[in-house]
Amino acid sequence: MTYQVTEENNISTVFLNGEIDMDVTDKAKDVILPLIEAGKEVHINLKDVEYMDSSGISVLIESHQKAMELGTKVTLKEISKSVLKVIMMAKLEQILNLD
Amino acid sequence: MNIKDQKEFPVDSAQLKEVRNFARGLFDQVPEFEDNREELVLALAEAAQNIVKHAYSGQPSGDTMRVEIEYQDKVLTMELFDKGKPVIPENIKPRKLSDIKAGGLGTFFIGQIMDEVVFKTNKEDWVNHLILTKRF
Repeated sequence: MTYQVTEENNISTVFLNGEIDMDVTDKAKDVILPLIEAGKEVHINLKDVEYMDSSGISVLIESHQKAMELGTKVTLKEISKSVLKVIMMAKLEQILNLD
Repeated sequence: MNIKDQKEFPVDSAQLKEVRNFARGLFDQVPEFEDNREELVLALAEAAQNIVKHAYSGQPSGDTMRVEIEYQDKVLTMELFDKGKPVIPENIKPRKLSDIKAGGLGTFFIGQIMDEVVFKTNKEDWVNHLILTKRF
């Protein structure tokens, strides 16, 4: 997994890339959670994520919950077909903010 | 098209990608899997992840796990063997749909994708033996 972070209008966008599994969840959390803890609105762009398993989904859930706890928001953007399939299998499409 | 292959992988989260690629290489040979190849890969990878995370508690051991994949007569069987902590099937609980948390999600995915999930402990030289089956 690789990533890139951009900032615009007080929104941080994290572009994730590649395959997200147990081996890289700590790396993904280390990128996303500090932005949320800094009170920023975070967009997670998933267009280039080819594979995500339950560990990756756990990062999305934890990010969403942390944002709610701190009064900010995480939105999932340009979700790839394969990731959307997994989110829907987990029945999380009504819970997470999908755009 | 029938396929059959097996491979051993170090019990290590860094190897999960190799497990997935092993499965993809086989599944690509089966036209029936074209629409749900990645779901099948996910089920196998979640089972492999459970070995790393639960049977070995995420700790390095030097052990390997064995993955066997067979597709014959429209039945896909994926078997995983490990020498970690013995699995107590009664203790494995998939996540409830109402829970907004990740715990048990992998087991939930496996149950959604596969038709049958069976734990056995009677295989020589191994402690845990998981058999995932799907009929086409």
